[in-house]
Amino acid sequence: MTTILGFDCSTPATAVALVRDGEEPLRARHVPEPGDRPGHATQLLPLCNALLERAGLRFADLDRVAVGLGPGTFTGLRIAIATGHGLAHASGTGLVGVPTLEALAAGADGAAVLAVLDARRGEAFAAEYSDGVPTVPATALPPQALEIRARDAVTRHPSTLAVGDGAVAFRAVLERAGCTVPPDDAEIHRVDVAVLCALARDRPAGPPEAVLPFYVRAPDAQPARSSRR
Amino acid sequence: MILALETSCDDTCAAVLTPDGEVRSNVISSQGIHDRYGGVVPEVASRHHLELIDAAVDDALARADTTLDDVTLVAVTRGPGLVGALLVGLSHAKGLAAARELPLAPVDHLHGHVAAGALADDAPEPPFLCLIASGGHTLLVRVDSAREVSVLGRTLDDAAGEAFDKGARTLGLPYPGGPALERLAREGDPGAFAFPIAERVGALDFSFAGLKTSLLYKVRDLGEDAARERATDLAASYQHAIVEALARRCERALAQTGLRALTLGGGVAANGPLRARVESLDAHVAIPARELCTDNAAMIGAAARAVDPLAFPSYLGLDAYPSGGSHWPPA
Repeated sequence: MTTILGFDCSTPATAVALVRDGEEPLRARHVPEPGDRPGHATQLLPLCNALLERAGLRFADLDRVAVGLGPGTFTGLRIAIATGHGLAHASGTGLVGVPTLEALAAGADGAAVLAVLDARRGEAFAAEYSDGVPTVPATALPPQALEIRARDAVTRHPSTLAVGDGAVAFRAVLERAGCTVPPDDAEIHRVDVAVLCALARDRPAGPPEAVLPFYVRAPDAQPARSSRR
Repeated sequence: MILALETSCDDTCAAVLTPDGEVRSNVISSQGIHDRYGGVVPEVASRHHLELIDAAVDDALARADTTLDDVTLVAVTRGPGLVGALLVGLSHAKGLAAARELPLAPVDHLHGHVAAGALADDAPEPPFLCLIASGGHTLLVRVDSAREVSVLGRTLDDAAGEAFDKGARTLGLPYPGGPALERLAREGDPGAFAFPIAERVGALDFSFAGLKTSLLYKVRDLGEDAARERATDLAASYQHAIVEALARRCERALAQTGLRALTLGGGVAANGPLRARVESLDAHVAIPARELCTDNAAMIGAAARAVDPLAFPSYLGLDAYPSGGSHWPPA
């Protein structure tokens, strides 16, 4: 029996799943109220622990930890990945990173999927998948570039499905390009961590420190007001 | 064993201490990369912490000749500092502790600097005074025991280390400014220029904003060429003003409280002239080694011994707190 705990903090939501062979996955999610900051730091491990308690398990019982690599909110990615490092480091459990856009596309179950996450600052992170295989890698795109990317995808696959909170945020652009965008409240737009766990199941786990965020964007190189030292 | 982590700014730190406070290892992985930006870039610091923290922990355990199996308490800096940077260490520490259901001690960074004083070779027994001076903090505290601490004075504007960095920038020196300014000042006359030392600031508080402005005006009045010619004197006089402002507050505090011992903490405590000046005071002065003055995890482990540890799973939802939001000392 393989037990996998997975989590993703690349969007404002904190999403967690516990997947065991032959059992229905357990899921938990925290979504901040509109205008509130994401609850990644305060919610992630309590949600994990709650799922483990429901299954009658402890952190020490895990065979594997799966974590979403983003792209997404920088701080959220680091909270999730640093937590994964700590858990894996202390337990010897394998840590596997899965690109969040890939999990999103795999959850959409379409032959051609444009996975789109809201990158803030008026941009979207988008990657294209064909039968689960990445065909165009993730980049941060302003609306005009996203529309061009979407048109290209539709040219190759007329039935391209666009999913993710970015697909909701940029619905008009994507629909103009010919993509199909499911209704705003469709579950398919959310990162399903059970899918992320399933992807992580058959991948090799390397050293935890090799699991690092998929930032896509360069950091803002602005020094802090003071240099605390 | 206590495993301690500290990632509040740009040093990725891990340390191992015995339960009675002996430092077995103290690993400081300095990122260095910030020098080219002229200051610490929070996002860059956070990215590096995530890349370095696993290796820092492994290194600290190896140097202490121990393993995670011997760790009975995880200590970590919760704040104040750069939140994104703090969250890397805090998340890692929570994950480590949760995997083994170990207790976790959240430590305030300033408490760590005070606790570092107790790691000095000739550390005094409480009660004593402690001056913390760094790039983000300047305060004078009274330590009555490991758990009983009160703030007697703090800076009203810039921190002492910030004054060093800003002064260095005015003199065209690279970041970090403290060591560069100290080196330049060695050849200069500390009495060449009279810079203000905020004598009129009340009680035991500090102020360095006026000093910084005064240097700016002096450089402007001298003109570019003369300022360059007299850079060593400017640096020496400016440093002298910072050192005097700090040392005279310490002297005043010793007189007011009747205490006879003083410890120093924070990066500015690495400054040679400050160490010399403070050691000349009529008190027992203990200054920890340089690597215990600048940011480090050994001091976090030392401070953790005076913190009530949180049992698993009560710490799982713990958040970091930013600059200015110090939760220490408890009121």
